[in-house]
Amino acid sequence: MTATHCPYCALQCAMTLTPSAGDTPVEIAGRDFPTNRGGLCRKGWTAAELLNHPERLSSPLIRGDDGALRPASWEEALERVASGIRTVQDRHGRDGVGVFGSGGLSNEKAYLLGKFARVALRTSRIDYNGRFCMSSAAAAGNRAFGLDRGLPFPLADLDTADTVLLLGSNVAETMPPFVQHLAGARAAGGLIVVDPRRSPTALLTEDGAGTHLAPAPKTDLILLLGLAHILVNRGWLDDSYLAARTSGVESVIRSVAAWWPERVQAATGVPADVLVRTARRLADSARTGSCYILTGRGVEQHSDGTDTATAAINLALLLGLPGSARGGYGTLTGQGNGQGGREHGQKSDQLPGYRKITDPAARAHLATVWGVREEEIPGPGVPAVELLSTLGLPGGVHALLVHGANPAVSAPDAAAVREGLDRLDLLVVCDFFPSETARQADVVLPVLQWAEEEGTMTNLEGRVLRRRRALRPPEGARSELWVLHRLAALLGVPGGFPTEPREAFEELRRASAGGLADYSGISYELLDSGAEVHWPYPAGGGGTPRLFRERFAHPDGRARLVAVRPAVIPDGAAALGRDEFHLATGRLLEHYQSGAQTRRVTALLEAQPEPRLQIHPASAARLGIMDGAPVRVRRSGTGPFAPRLLCRAEVTTFIRLDTVFAPFHFADGASANQVTEAVTDPVSGMPEFKTTRVRIEPVAASSEGVTG
Amino acid sequence: MNTPERIVVLGYGPVAARFLDAMRPLAAAGLVEVTVLGEEKDAAYNRVLVADLGVGRASRGSLDLSDPDELAADGIRVLLGVRAQRVDRSRRLVHAADGSRLPYDRLVLATGARATVPNLTGLNPDPLHPVLPEGVTALRDLADAARLRAAVDGRKRVVVLGGGVLGLEVALAAAEEGAHVTVVHHGDRPMGRQLDAGSGATLSAALRRQGLQLVPGARATGLTTADDGAFRALALADGTLVEGELLVLACGARPRTELAEGAGLAVGRGVLVDHSLRALHTGHVFAIGDCAEVRCPDPSCAVCQASAGPSGLIAPGWRQADRLAASFTARLLGTVAPAPLPEEKPGVILLKATGVNLAAAGDLQADPWDAMDPGAPLEVSLWADPAQGRYVKMCTRDGALAGFVALGMSRAAAELTLLFGSGGELPADRSVLLRLDGPDGSLGRPGTSAGPESVLCRCAGVSRGSVQAAVTAGCGTVEDVARATKAGTGCGGCKDSVRELIEEYFAPTAV
Repeated sequence: MTATHCPYCALQCAMTLTPSAGDTPVEIAGRDFPTNRGGLCRKGWTAAELLNHPERLSSPLIRGDDGALRPASWEEALERVASGIRTVQDRHGRDGVGVFGSGGLSNEKAYLLGKFARVALRTSRIDYNGRFCMSSAAAAGNRAFGLDRGLPFPLADLDTADTVLLLGSNVAETMPPFVQHLAGARAAGGLIVVDPRRSPTALLTEDGAGTHLAPAPKTDLILLLGLAHILVNRGWLDDSYLAARTSGVESVIRSVAAWWPERVQAATGVPADVLVRTARRLADSARTGSCYILTGRGVEQHSDGTDTATAAINLALLLGLPGSARGGYGTLTGQGNGQGGREHGQKSDQLPGYRKITDPAARAHLATVWGVREEEIPGPGVPAVELLSTLGLPGGVHALLVHGANPAVSAPDAAAVREGLDRLDLLVVCDFFPSETARQADVVLPVLQWAEEEGTMTNLEGRVLRRRRALRPPEGARSELWVLHRLAALLGVPGGFPTEPREAFEELRRASAGGLADYSGISYELLDSGAEVHWPYPAGGGGTPRLFRERFAHPDGRARLVAVRPAVIPDGAAALGRDEFHLATGRLLEHYQSGAQTRRVTALLEAQPEPRLQIHPASAARLGIMDGAPVRVRRSGTGPFAPRLLCRAEVTTFIRLDTVFAPFHFADGASANQVTEAVTDPVSGMPEFKTTRVRIEPVAASSEGVTG
Repeated sequence: MNTPERIVVLGYGPVAARFLDAMRPLAAAGLVEVTVLGEEKDAAYNRVLVADLGVGRASRGSLDLSDPDELAADGIRVLLGVRAQRVDRSRRLVHAADGSRLPYDRLVLATGARATVPNLTGLNPDPLHPVLPEGVTALRDLADAARLRAAVDGRKRVVVLGGGVLGLEVALAAAEEGAHVTVVHHGDRPMGRQLDAGSGATLSAALRRQGLQLVPGARATGLTTADDGAFRALALADGTLVEGELLVLACGARPRTELAEGAGLAVGRGVLVDHSLRALHTGHVFAIGDCAEVRCPDPSCAVCQASAGPSGLIAPGWRQADRLAASFTARLLGTVAPAPLPEEKPGVILLKATGVNLAAAGDLQADPWDAMDPGAPLEVSLWADPAQGRYVKMCTRDGALAGFVALGMSRAAAELTLLFGSGGELPADRSVLLRLDGPDGSLGRPGTSAGPESVLCRCAGVSRGSVQAAVTAGCGTVEDVARATKAGTGCGGCKDSVRELIEEYFAPTAV
């Protein structure tokens, strides 16, 4: 029996793997743990099916002269990669080679991938798919608190909450066992869900369990400014907390003065009396009970996502919550190691330990740990969307190494990304399935799955967890640490890339020592002892389950309230033309991210074989769209040959009249990201996934071959 | 380096504050030298909330929109309590009341509006220098709010003259905070210019339910005062006296244009400006906000022909402030000039009140059956439930709203407000919008059929039939079912349903 955690999301549900002689090599059981309490969702229960899946890659693949991928030896594949890299470096310089990492990689892999880019490739061009999900909340958290840990408190603290404001998060589908922690708030009638859809999570507010607010798309920021306005106006602020622990409150008070409830109603569609009731509930609960404000991708994946997360943080600060015993603010990290993955150097502007790559002290520290000269460490690169926009173009990246990601499906404007991938001189993909990105690669390197490797993951509450090996990997697959080690050697850097996870973690401890995300006091032995380990955990000290109790991480110890305001003064829903809709993308319970894994699990694919476009019956009737009928979705303003999302309609009253929804887990013509636009937040570089202006048309049945 | 351009802003209200905010980067960079004159001693504050302040519902601090120190830190000069007396356009000088002279390269008028003082015996009619008797107030500035506050705190009788939006908002707020309030208004019903007869009648009833006394069809002629000169009663044309300790004048506002007139600028209802907000026939003078009236020199301009003059609403003023700052910035930095402001749609009136929810906009006088005539331009849908204080009317042209009113139905009001703004097409079944205010806000839950194929546990993807089969096969507890089917092993939300199925199966059959 092996105690480990689920391969998928940031809840990292604890599970036990038992060797099995059945259809799958191991049997999965939920394991009692403070986060999942033995619960697993359908994805977790069926995860073992991937371990011996027929499509599992077990040999390196090289694209031959005939254009097809063919099996090759590791020797040949790695040599092809190394020589390809050298050619691109000669032609385009060090920054001609890029690295694209993932929030799914273990801490050890994420750390060494960042080091590989800076030390072996000496390129600044590294970023990762976490830029698509966590960067706005991270930027807002760093700006406000001086530090970004998704939940600065253990998840179980939510159990005693009597009010939880959930902004743009559909946990009932994205991390179902999380819902257990909302039971207290629901029993107290205090679950407040903000979502333009009546999502399964929004339905949890029914029967007196709370309130569902459905603001019009692109108005989350205004909604939050409006709630803050009411707190200010009614005198429901925690004045002593604000005086003792924060700075900047005056400018925030001025910035919300203009957002009285009726004006907010006019912009958001949320009635003024509901706003006042919501603010009163938050204030009462912050004073006498326990009140939490949590954000998710729904409010963050916008071109003003950092400001929206900031507005949520401001609300929490006005109520006196962060760092107090009466509640807090947090963001719900999405990917399996979305937390650890954003701490140890995969980000373009970052060095391990959540250090800034522009900080001379940080560079000096890493130069020592890595045994290189400080000036050899490249400067900041560019964030993911920008990186992907330069593929194969002058001044851009001409060779790309992809680890644990599938940007051909998950990136915004995915069709343009696929064209970019085709322009590359060299595309190398490390994966265990032939993902859509891998299918475009010049070299595919088969790596290990979760149950085949050792390592650590950091979950959504900043708790470091052990991932443990339960079975032997297939012949032919290698760990990414081994791959990096061998490639570095071929590129003339023989040392510094340990192949053993434990050894890599020991180096990560040193590299992170003294940084914000300090892991130096953590060891495999400590984790294996069953200790609860939340970072920062400096050597000789202890862990930090609850951050900010004494002080925030800014030099003066105070949290910063930062005044934010919407870019334009809304004029009704003026941004939307007649016959236009806002397309929001998101997730289904049965699938994970680009679907490269979950679309290969029989039960999950059978339950959700294809995307369906949610549309309100009134809108569907106007467009002549029947439930289940095929529709074409295109971005407004695109030409006749622009990529389209082709899928079936799901006619439902659970969505606003002006909004449609599609899941993004599917590929090719069914890929929602063909329609999304590569527009990003100016602070975080995070793409706008939640509101793309689209037009929708029914597809004649005959053209689908449905009729005769 | 060029000498910085001198910009003088007259007025320091909400619109000026927004303009100044947008000019801060240029000021900090030394490209402009900005001076702002505010006649009041206070920095810009939110006038929309003056009534809230007056009834004690908002704190003074929460009204602030601007910080003079913050502006000063970027080099913007803020002169508070200084009135501009005269503009000398030929010399490009502003003469201030304190004797100082301010030279400008560009002048921005943001002088706002002032409350209209009606023609009543006992009131000084000079609109520029109204000296109101003790116990009479308008409701526009902080001093007005203080007068209202004293009356509300003292649970005095308040007489509100005017049945428009401001009058009703003040009346409702004051009544809710404990004052005795009478609203005196023209016509059969309040908000007569904005509402149709049905919504007006429903509104009157709703207002009375909130404790307001209404005096409809009234024409006020004068006021009676006590020996000390303080207000005692409002006299009506029919001889009635409406008694009270405070008279609130809510009779509208007029743009403050006297400086512009004195400077020889073209003035209509407000200072006339073109679509780039430049005063007509000038090179260096601009006007924004309540004092400005967009009316360009082109007599055939459809936008200006359709315009009814300054709206008195704040959002258009803020958009003008942004636009003007953007064009100044573009000119000084040599970047692309911003697009002209889009045509302002008629504003949506949203009554700021806790007890009455009202949104109204546009043309809503048409009658549902008249609208059925062939060739009638509008379609009208109507829902009236006056006993519940509910009334919704949607007047559409080609499916898009030309006007609407929603009373007592806040979700419908909010969505109709958005649809009016966007010009989006309404659902053919208009009742969809009414049902938003129903008990569950939707049309029932799809997928709640209880057939064996229906999903009982979403997290693990287990059907009702599978659970029934497990129970039939001997699973007698929720835990047994979880082991056998995995139902209830995710969020745990379906455990009650599993328990029900078990109990159903093992329950003794009724005889």
